[in-house]
Amino acid sequence: MGSILNPLYFAVSWVIVTFHSLLGYLFGKDSHESIKWSLSIIGLVIVIRIILIPLFVKQIKSQRALTALQPHMKEIQKKHKDDRQKQSEEMMKLYKEHKTNPLASCFPIIAQAPIFFALFTVLNGIARNAPHGFLKGDLLISAQQAKFFGADLSSTFLSTNTNTQTKLVTIALIVFMSATTFTTQRQLMVKGMPKMDSSNNMMLQQQKIMLYVFPIIFAVSGVNFPVGVLIYWSTTNLWTFGQQFYVIKRNPTPGSPAYEELMKKRAVKNKDNGSLPEVTNEPGTTQIDPAVGQRQQPSKKKKKNKKNK
Amino acid sequence: MKKLITSFIKFYQTWISPAFGPRCKYYPSCSKYATDAITEYGAKGLAMAAWRLFRCNPWSHGGVDYVLSKSSNQPIKSGAN
Repeated sequence: MGSILNPLYFAVSWVIVTFHSLLGYLFGKDSHESIKWSLSIIGLVIVIRIILIPLFVKQIKSQRALTALQPHMKEIQKKHKDDRQKQSEEMMKLYKEHKTNPLASCFPIIAQAPIFFALFTVLNGIARNAPHGFLKGDLLISAQQAKFFGADLSSTFLSTNTNTQTKLVTIALIVFMSATTFTTQRQLMVKGMPKMDSSNNMMLQQQKIMLYVFPIIFAVSGVNFPVGVLIYWSTTNLWTFGQQFYVIKRNPTPGSPAYEELMKKRAVKNKDNGSLPEVTNEPGTTQIDPAVGQRQQPSKKKKKNKKNK
Repeated sequence: MKKLITSFIKFYQTWISPAFGPRCKYYPSCSKYATDAITEYGAKGLAMAAWRLFRCNPWSHGGVDYVLSKSSNQPIKSGAN
């Protein structure tokens, strides 16, 4: 396992060490080590999340393409009102037929898992004085002394030589992670998803359970993770929240409450601006050609009608 | 063994998956597919599930994809999700 992950240790440690030396220009070469190391971990999050942005944009684009499919979707929902299975089936067929799929797949999560694990190992290596990748020699010694609000970056809640500061910081970070997950999920439930009908109640129920269970999961795993990993986790959660906040405001899923809000806002704006076309209000949409999606629609519709007959 | 693995999947479906929201590009979802495949085909089902998870990526268009029953070669459509 270790040798497979070796390139990842190098990659992760390289990003951290590079950020650390770049931050040297800002904070001074041999001072403020704690801030530099903590920010380096945050830098790692930023790099990884930026790499993942194209995937995210791709997903948003497909969600946008759904606007053109709205009539079909409504039709399906109406037709198979009492059969959720059939409804989902038809929905997936529709996505496939139009070569657009608003769902993200598990890839973005699975892709981050090895990096998370590599960071875990690298940071644990600091505590055990074991060099990994580029984090060795003087850098290792410097990182060993780095603190985040008084807690060693490599210390965990459960390790034997842990001070009160580490415990407090760990608890604070666990609370923060739970709060960001909760808010992100809640925001998506309340504003970001098409309005729930009774058939979705089960999912709603499930999510409610999750809201209470997740803090427990965070707490159980969090006490075993070094403070540095918790910083990574908290930052990536915060990023997810920000990303979703932006999308819900600017590019909401068709049919969701946030979408209706935006449409209302635009209607008001259009009235004020005279006859400005809708698309120009949205800077993010300029690269997407909405006409393509719409032009396809009539032919597909015909095909579908033929099939139905 | 089958029971153990499917109970792990069940655990994932109940406690972990809701945190990420619906995200599978296929119907039924990868976890449901895995449960069906492992119940029906055992070890081979595990490989099928892995292959399905691999196919469910940002560049795929997804679609409807059931596990086929060994005996009748018909899609297994039991339970929701």
